[in-house]
Amino acid sequence: MNRAVILRGILGAVLLIGAWEFSVRFFALPQWILPPPSGILATAWSGRAALLPAAAMTAYEALSGYAIGAVLGVGLAMLLALAAPLRAVLLPMVVAVNSIPVAAYAPLALLWFGTGALSKIIMVAFIVGFTVFLNALDGLTRVDPAAIALLRSFGAGRLRLLWTLRLPAALPSIATGLRISTVRAMIVTLVTEMLGSQLGLGWTIFQAVLLIDFLQVWAAILVASIISLLFFGVVSAIERRVVFWR
Amino acid sequence: MTATKLSISGVGKNFGAVRALDRVDLDIAPGEFVTLIGPSGCGKSTLFNMLAGLLEPDAGGTILLDGKPGKLLGRTAFMPQRDLLLPWRNVLDNALLPCEIEGLPRAETRARAEKMAVDFGLRGFEKHFPQQLSGGMRQRVALMRTFMFERDLMLLDEPFGALDALTRSMMQRWLLDIWARYRRTIIFITHDIDEAIFLADRVVVMSARPGRIKLDRRIELPRPRDAHLLTAPEFTAIKRELLDAVEEESLKSFSA
Ligand SMILES: Nc1ncnc2c1ncn2[C@@H]1O[C@H](COP(=O)(O)OP(=O)(O)OP(=O)(O)O)[C@@H](O)[C@H]1O
Ligand SMILES: [Mg+2]
Repeated sequence: MNRAVILRGILGAVLLIGAWEFSVRFFALPQWILPPPSGILATAWSGRAALLPAAAMTAYEALSGYAIGAVLGVGLAMLLALAAPLRAVLLPMVVAVNSIPVAAYAPLALLWFGTGALSKIIMVAFIVGFTVFLNALDGLTRVDPAAIALLRSFGAGRLRLLWTLRLPAALPSIATGLRISTVRAMIVTLVTEMLGSQLGLGWTIFQAVLLIDFLQVWAAILVASIISLLFFGVVSAIERRVVFWR
Repeated sequence: MTATKLSISGVGKNFGAVRALDRVDLDIAPGEFVTLIGPSGCGKSTLFNMLAGLLEPDAGGTILLDGKPGKLLGRTAFMPQRDLLLPWRNVLDNALLPCEIEGLPRAETRARAEKMAVDFGLRGFEKHFPQQLSGGMRQRVALMRTFMFERDLMLLDEPFGALDALTRSMMQRWLLDIWARYRRTIIFITHDIDEAIFLADRVVVMSARPGRIKLDRRIELPRPRDAHLLTAPEFTAIKRELLDAVEEESLKSFSA
């Protein structure tokens, strides 16, 4: 990304926040509809002692689940890329399970794995795993047949094809899956936290709503958004490095 | 009896109801440069796929390499119609692909590739990626990759098909030079009669689908050959003869 794009992005954000601040003040909106950005920032700053541990917990859950899900997703996809018959049996099932909305599983995860970090990590790993798996498998199996023929003519076997051709050819798809998964990981963490936990930004938001403390709600949303943006940004930057040929 | 590098007899291929290749019989001597010409869809690439061991001939056909039957996969150096360079590998690593698959020692093959890159006009471009190369250069990388796979028999499927006329004639002379230096047996598919004659010891003309050998013409023109040959009377005479054969088949494949 070049500097102009970044500058334009920052300019846009500043304009948006300025407009937000102005309209809240101008129309004298009540806090429960929309508090001003200045108020949100002030609340975030004064409440940092409580927000930081919550943010750390949320980030920990999201990142651990993400890492586990990514490894499992790519690993399983590689396995199935080698075994076409198994793929034909398993894939429809995977797609079916994947199309059920996340929130539906969350209460079960809490029931089975408790209200600690484990339930969130497992939920995230599950969602990220599916996303990455489906993208990776698509990339691994959609390789130019002529390129496969070429490598076979050099004497390449299945494993060699997987390592030398399929995996690098699938990197763009895998990277796309990983990029989409960053935001999903954050959403799932927050939602599962809201349903039951002792610490985390989702929990902070839920508590603040019960206490009708809307500035606190927005402060937690602000912190969660920052984490999410950073996460997305870092993964996108790595993607541009690794998939340099696209 | 002269030794035969490759002996093809009664080789045919059906794709479902489509008879792509009829019965092909062809013997090729070691070190020979044979060009294969014929209308589009007559089964040239199909024949190559069988010679490379990627496709089985229909029952009744036999392919003997060095007089022996058996698995062909990995025994011929095959260059497909598209260059198929891997975009995540630089020039040298693309050329090293077959050696890597064979499991040859890396340092040695690397040194060999670096030397070969000079012959292939790729010096200074070793670290470039395919996206950064011109069409002619990409084709040279693909050819070099084929040469790095050290097999006596090379199958080149329209290697210069996508190049402009100027680059193409330069590449032809260059290929003859390389061939003289590395001494391999080459079968070369082309759609260009000039190219077929200019390069070959023998031009083999195939019929419209289902492909058969229609004409097998030995080219006795002296070597080394240069661009002036294209306008020499003995060249034009051969060209007329081949043109008649090719034209007839092209018309057939058109009206079919
Ligand atoms: N895998 C396949 N399945 C079905 N039909 C095929 C297959 N491969 C080739 N064919 C058919 O066989 C015929 C010969 O194809 P082939 O690619 O060998 O022709 P070609 O002589 O190389 O043509 P061109 O000069 O255009 O490259 C064509 O009609 C093609 O449609
Ligand atoms: Mg072809």
